[in-house]
Amino acid sequence: MNGTSQMLVYLIAIPLFSATVLLLGSRALDKVGHIIGTLASTAAFVVGLLEFFAMLGRAPENRAVTQPLFTWIEVGNFNVGATLLLDQLSICFVLLITGVGTLIHIYSIAYMSHDKDRRRFFAFLNLFIAAMLLLVLGDSYLSLYVGWEGVGLASYLLIGFWNQKPAYATAAKKAFVANRVGDVGLSLAVMIAFVQFGSVSFSGVAEGVEAGKASSLALNCLGAALLLAAVGKSAQFPLQAWLGDAMAGPTPVSALIHAATMVTAGVYLISRSHFVFDVASVAQLLVVIVGAITLLFGAIIGMAKDDIKKALAASTMSQIGYMILATGLGPVGYAFAMMHLLTHGFFKAGMFLGAGSVMHGMNDEVDMRKYGALRKYMPVTFITFGLGYLAIIGVPPFAGFYSKDKIIEIALDAGGAKGIILGSITLLGAAITAFYMSRVMLMTFFGSKRWEADAHPHESPALMTIPMVILAIGSISAGFIFNLGDRFINFLNPVFHSDHSGHGEKEHLLPPIVVSALALTAVAIGVSIAIAKYGRGKSIPAVAPADVSVWTKVARRDLLQDDLNEALFMRPGQELTKALAIVDEKVIDGAVRGVGSLTLDVASGVRRTQTGFVRSYALWVIVGAVGILATIAVMSL
Amino acid sequence: MPTPKIEYGILAPVLVVLAAAVLAVLVEAFVSRRYRYVVQTTLSFAAIALGLFTVILNKDVSGRFAEGSVAVDGVTIVLQGTILIFALLGLLLIAERGFQSFTAQASTLPGSADEQRALASGLQQTEVFPLTLFAVGGALLFPAANDLITLFVALEVLSLPLYLMAGLSQRRRLLSQEAGLKYFLLGAFSSAFFLFGSAFLYGYAGTTTFDGIKLQITTSPGNDLFLLVGLAMLTVGLLFKVSAAPFHSWTPDVYQGAPTPITAFMAAVTKVAAFGAFLRIFYTTIGGMVWTWRPIIIAISILTMAIGTIIAIAQKDVKRVLAYSAIAHSGFLLTGIVAFNKSGVGATLLYLLTYGFTTLGTFAIVTLVRDAGGEVTDLNRWSGLGKRSPLIAGIFTLFLLALAGIPLTSGFVGKFAIFSAAYESGNISVVIAGVLASAVAAFFYIRIVVLMYFNDPQEDGTSVVIPSPVTAITIGVCAVATLVLGVFPQPVINAVNSLAMFVAG
Amino acid sequence: MSLDNYLYLSALLFTIGAAGVLIRRNAIVVFMCIELMLNASNLAFVTFARMNGSIDGQLFAFFTMVVAACEVVVGLAIIVTIYRSRRSASVDDARLLKL
Repeated sequence: MNGTSQMLVYLIAIPLFSATVLLLGSRALDKVGHIIGTLASTAAFVVGLLEFFAMLGRAPENRAVTQPLFTWIEVGNFNVGATLLLDQLSICFVLLITGVGTLIHIYSIAYMSHDKDRRRFFAFLNLFIAAMLLLVLGDSYLSLYVGWEGVGLASYLLIGFWNQKPAYATAAKKAFVANRVGDVGLSLAVMIAFVQFGSVSFSGVAEGVEAGKASSLALNCLGAALLLAAVGKSAQFPLQAWLGDAMAGPTPVSALIHAATMVTAGVYLISRSHFVFDVASVAQLLVVIVGAITLLFGAIIGMAKDDIKKALAASTMSQIGYMILATGLGPVGYAFAMMHLLTHGFFKAGMFLGAGSVMHGMNDEVDMRKYGALRKYMPVTFITFGLGYLAIIGVPPFAGFYSKDKIIEIALDAGGAKGIILGSITLLGAAITAFYMSRVMLMTFFGSKRWEADAHPHESPALMTIPMVILAIGSISAGFIFNLGDRFINFLNPVFHSDHSGHGEKEHLLPPIVVSALALTAVAIGVSIAIAKYGRGKSIPAVAPADVSVWTKVARRDLLQDDLNEALFMRPGQELTKALAIVDEKVIDGAVRGVGSLTLDVASGVRRTQTGFVRSYALWVIVGAVGILATIAVMSL
Repeated sequence: MPTPKIEYGILAPVLVVLAAAVLAVLVEAFVSRRYRYVVQTTLSFAAIALGLFTVILNKDVSGRFAEGSVAVDGVTIVLQGTILIFALLGLLLIAERGFQSFTAQASTLPGSADEQRALASGLQQTEVFPLTLFAVGGALLFPAANDLITLFVALEVLSLPLYLMAGLSQRRRLLSQEAGLKYFLLGAFSSAFFLFGSAFLYGYAGTTTFDGIKLQITTSPGNDLFLLVGLAMLTVGLLFKVSAAPFHSWTPDVYQGAPTPITAFMAAVTKVAAFGAFLRIFYTTIGGMVWTWRPIIIAISILTMAIGTIIAIAQKDVKRVLAYSAIAHSGFLLTGIVAFNKSGVGATLLYLLTYGFTTLGTFAIVTLVRDAGGEVTDLNRWSGLGKRSPLIAGIFTLFLLALAGIPLTSGFVGKFAIFSAAYESGNISVVIAGVLASAVAAFFYIRIVVLMYFNDPQEDGTSVVIPSPVTAITIGVCAVATLVLGVFPQPVINAVNSLAMFVAG
Repeated sequence: MSLDNYLYLSALLFTIGAAGVLIRRNAIVVFMCIELMLNASNLAFVTFARMNGSIDGQLFAFFTMVVAACEVVVGLAIIVTIYRSRRSASVDDARLLKL
């Protein structure tokens, strides 16, 4: 039923080829490396656009196209082909990845102009684009897994890009560990799918679920494993700690990978696996809980951060919490999650680029307490950042209003106490978002100058501001366009089979207009508090005050997440290893350490059999021989 | 008595290599020192290449030759081809002169004036080449043997040179000599078991040919004492060669002490040859006894995987980590024996092919990480390698991921094939153990990756030397093979499966 | 006399050899114990040849002797080198490689 397209492979091949050329090329490419990289990304975007228009030209039910590349593995009855699949869901991602990706490439030309390794940076960016496209274009969990690992790799390479600084390398390591935990989830999911359905392709698993091949327990396990994967990749509770540290990477990286695309892979995974979650109610509930916790968690951390990038990272966490929450609400939620994902991609990437622009003008200072009154000096940055700000807090008619409002609406409609709790959480989250984003705005662009002596803020070059302007236009218009006549929902309908016709008639807990009013009230409260605390005439100390309430302190420390990790995993692990005096020097900190040390103990115990004496080795040979003889004797009796 | 009929053309791969080995001994004795290296390398490479050529000529052969003592069939062809390819790559590493892995004169005392003089003269003895050729000749014959006598002789021709080669290291000679001694004593010890087992199998069947033993097992089933003792003892000898637990203890010590190019050669070539013989004996000769040997091999396989992966975690020396990884891989390979079905043969052959490339490449990279005193194998000193030389660290990462069996590397394809063969045969326990062991093993492979990329380099003179063309070729070929077999495995899978057929009988 | 007795002797010699490998420290003696095990196998071979009335066993025994001779060459070379470096042929001294 699906058509084929011979173009899909170019989406991946072009950036991959460019990355290879840039990585293996000689120094001679240094002068043109950034141009090659940007062109590759642009070319992928053009291919994406062509595919998009071709798709619109087809009837809604056969818009999906595939391209079989080759048979990867064929063993017995198990057959995995490397096939690419482009449907309505993947095209959203393709356009987001290549579109925002291209803008960020352009921005990086100027942002990284003083870095001697700029060619390598662009190679990694291209590698990331290729891997991310593979992730969303694969037609099976296995191809997705490959892309998943690929984006992970590109992400560490880019976080650790300035790895001369130890703190940055540590950040890369932390991201590595959190992602490994998530990867365990994904590989478990692949295994469960294979064992239960004998297939790892999306269509195969979907058919298997429909045919009732798996027990509800197996489906819930599969769902939970997928959720674990999503939690690791999308920085959701309880694996969210790495995202803040990942801000050590260059700012364009934060914008592309850690705001617009890679961290949303978890949302993609859950949406893509909707057929599993639709029938696995426990796993689905877990999804909702994780989303709800993270959305508050991120928002609370966001209130306490003075580092502009970390504040934005916390906000990313929180916004993805909204998306995850929406995906957990069943068929009606997926499309809204996707809508929020896209609008978030625009405004968050725009704001990160704005933050980068501010840093560019302020000698790479990230502490907002040392900003202030920048609106006069960086007008373009101020306006584009401001538009993004209005979008994220959900002021109509900006993009965030449409997507977030819908999520609040369906959360309230979840029914019963669940609906009321989720609705309150999303509303509270909206209020807190309004507060901390206003705080960022006020501390950066308003108030008095609190600059370091040598700061000479200036507007960034056109190469940096143009992408910001384009993203700002997206922040203004995307929500309105998507929402016009529910066109986005209808566009995605064939993928999710969310029987949308019933949506309008469904009994609402509160009428939509009341929900919007409530949301706007929440936003207004948040903004007012922020203005009262940080607005005109309020002095902001250059050093964060120490005599604050215990809650602020807790929030500043990422809600004790690192401390918790330490208490839960590291301490007992250290005690155990101390006892045996063979301490494996800080291999991997955090969770892996706890698990690792137990195995390590066993290992060093068993290792003692390796005494170095030839004669004891010979003894083992004899023990083995006698063992085999005895077994044979016993079995032949 | 009629003259025995020898099919020289079909035995050519073995004969060419062994003839070259004899010739190489003469070269060592008579050619002037100045030309010896050139002559030896030319001779060795030519012999291996010619051997490979004759293997290809034989590709459609299937039958028993040399009066039934050698079986040449699809399985033999694949194994001999694999062995020769790995021998070629191994020889490239051995031929590398820049690193001086080998002692100039093995008979000199470590630290003595003689040694200094031998080193200073720059004239290395090149006895390693004939030794390598002998070992390759034995390895080629080992999986083709269709007779207990041939099997035993092949085993010794393979092993004896390796005992000597393990002791040839130039640096840390005491360690190297100790490795040689341990390998020799334990190897001879295990071949005594092997021989004793052969004697009892002969006593049981009244003949030393595999076909005769097989016939005896099928015609008079039953648990003859001679058969059972013979079976057990023979298995011990073979399990020692493939370093399965609890016969594995020599592996880490020998892998660590031997010169790294020799370790690479051993890890790839010996493993292929030993598993080749394992396959033939267990699938054909004593296939009728499958219900007796299968539980034992399952237990050994699980034990081997467990010991290999668990102890590897606590290792601090990269060569020892790789040695334990080799042990764990033996455990995985044994699942292919456990499978005892059509796909098991192909899967084992495929696994050997994928594993050999990866392990050769890994050890080749170990030869590159050096300081003033020679190779640096202490893992802590490998930290930050990713920052010093991203390319080499990247390739090493590729190899480690392949050893761990991550998708899109050859390791995944091999593991997948072998586990699904065992799964098909209904032996789920060994598959579950294999998957668990792979998961644990991933930990210590990833640990090295983390160490290389996320730790700071230590300022202790450790550096990655620029490889000379010979080593670079080896690493390149292995890396490409690891990737290609991971991404486009299907042609190779098909080719191996179409050949994976024992001679009927 | 029953041929079985030769087999018992062979098994006994093999066991003595194996025990010697475990007990003795001197590498040369250990090696001689291994030779004893090989010879035990040879005895088994000729006994079986006699029992089965075939010549293969005696043939195998000859091959074993040749191989054992080669083993002596290689083994003594290794042991002598070790002895020269360490002034000791004890297998227990050779344990730099462990754990």
